Amino acid sequence: MDPELTFDAYWSAIDEELAAIPGRPVLDVVPARTTDEAAFYSLRITSTGPYRVYGNLSIPRGDGPFPGLLITPRYGSVNNVPHPNDRSRYVVLSLMHRGQRLADEGFAAAYPGLLTMGIDDPSTYVYRGIAADCLRAAEFLMGLSEVDPARVAVTGDDLAVLTAARRPGFSSVRVTDLLFYRAMEARLKSCLYPLEELNDHLRRGSSAEGLSTTLSYYDPARHAPAVTGRTLLSIDDEDWCRSLLAALPDPEVYPVTHLDGTDNDFLDAWLAERSAVPAMSKFIA
Amino acid sequence: MRDPENATVDVELPEDFDDFWAAGLADCASYPLDPVLTELPNLSTDTVIVNDLHFTSYGGLRIAGWYAVPRDRPGPLPGLVTIPGYISEPTVPKEWAELGYATLAIAPRGKLRSNDVFDPGYPGLLTHNIVDPNTYGYRGFYLDVVRAVEVLLDRPDVDNQRIGLQGSSQGGGLGISTAALMPDVIRCVAAGAPYLCGIMTAPTLTRSYPYEEINEYLRIHPKDVDRVRETVAYYDGLNFAPKVQAPTLLYLGLEDDVCPPETGFALHRALTCEKTLHTYPHCAHHAGPSGRDADRGGLPCRAPHPGTVNRWTPN
Repeated sequence: MDPELTFDAYWSAIDEELAAIPGRPVLDVVPARTTDEAAFYSLRITSTGPYRVYGNLSIPRGDGPFPGLLITPRYGSVNNVPHPNDRSRYVVLSLMHRGQRLADEGFAAAYPGLLTMGIDDPSTYVYRGIAADCLRAAEFLMGLSEVDPARVAVTGDDLAVLTAARRPGFSSVRVTDLLFYRAMEARLKSCLYPLEELNDHLRRGSSAEGLSTTLSYYDPARHAPAVTGRTLLSIDDEDWCRSLLAALPDPEVYPVTHLDGTDNDFLDAWLAERSAVPAMSKFIA
Repeated sequence: MRDPENATVDVELPEDFDDFWAAGLADCASYPLDPVLTELPNLSTDTVIVNDLHFTSYGGLRIAGWYAVPRDRPGPLPGLVTIPGYISEPTVPKEWAELGYATLAIAPRGKLRSNDVFDPGYPGLLTHNIVDPNTYGYRGFYLDVVRAVEVLLDRPDVDNQRIGLQGSSQGGGLGISTAALMPDVIRCVAAGAPYLCGIMTAPTLTRSYPYEEINEYLRIHPKDVDRVRETVAYYDGLNFAPKVQAPTLLYLGLEDDVCPPETGFALHRALTCEKTLHTYPHCAHHAGPSGRDADRGGLPCRAPHPGTVNRWTPN
């Protein structure tokens, strides 16, 4: 079987599943987070499975359309509510994928555990559904009339790359973290989680080859060629990320300083410039 | 221009502060600790044994944790309780065990594996029942950490004269409160970007979560401001600080938008114990360059994924 054909078939099947399931989004105003700057909503929408997932959506007050920003979920049970700075400038959607809090009816993700749930077979791997959740969120955001289709960004880890690769229309991609990239090599470098979950799983007797096969479907370097937007990688080892950079059509590197005040401000300003909105620092000087 | 080092952060000390917490400790003492350890071969390694741990805490709730010890190092070992950040789940503390600590990574109530009965959510915990100190969501949460230390005291493989606390953000704040509640037990504290200090001042200095939750609450319930202030005074790290006796390491990011540095400096002033303060310009809530964890009472930096920033999430 042609590995590349398998890769394409794998992801096409997910797209087809999503296309067959109406999203049926429901928005509820959240009064406590609705201000003069932005209206805040909780979003519930159906993804593959079918499974109902949750999102925090905020739309600036005033005349739109506005730049859109999708925040893909981090690895953890909770994602932060979008920051008021982002809410005042973007139509911002922060997704809780299946199993995360607020999207945990019927399935609550375990930590550690989520990274390797169903990993022995690509078709049962939990991230298949999580990726679908991200794609559904992207579809929803891009479908909003308040969003300027010429200014839509996605930010996050490998899931941001994957989402941008499979849903055209993201003009900016901001990659602030990596989880799946070279994961089978990275897991050997420390005992820290979440990558230690891979080592734990292998200690149970699973084959490294099987894990590698599944993880290869989520390797951002394999998805990268399909990304059409300018892509910023916030990294501190360019050599390590060489293959990902080479695969991206329009990459840019930000060498992190590990001074997160400085790094945060740069990342904000980069996206703001590309979205034609003011840069803002979370730290109020 | 802000001057965080010299900013005033006022917190009223409730007259019955000590009685309030004595009652909480008494409640805990009324339940047998009943620790249950279950070895987890699937999470253990050649060098570290990992156990699932459950014990009984305030209100009779069963609380979960991970207990990790070095496999072949003779005890008794120094004991360490690691305390999770606000939105973070406790991670399996293999790295600490590899350094020789008997380490308990607690999941206080509301965290996964400890949320069957109490599950206020995130956001949610900070403002859960915030108008009444007796039912405020953090009451049991604080005492769960105290109970975790008591588990270590009960362990034959732990040297009771060498028990410390480590955490950042919420972990840093609860390190302070726990050291204050157990001054005869805790031997050292490492607290980064401590949260829950100057609780009513912090929301005026930032719009970042979790403190933004208080702003949101008061936007909807403006008449509750006095009751909120009264409640959180019982939980403010600045009121606990004078009771801490253990040597304490504080580390602050001077551009911290989550836990404003003003509150960290105020904590440093309030501590009367032996104390060390590290401050990091241009750093935010990581409270220091992520390549220098050793400066923060933590680990030599080994980023979980090379090539990107350290994924350590203090909050």
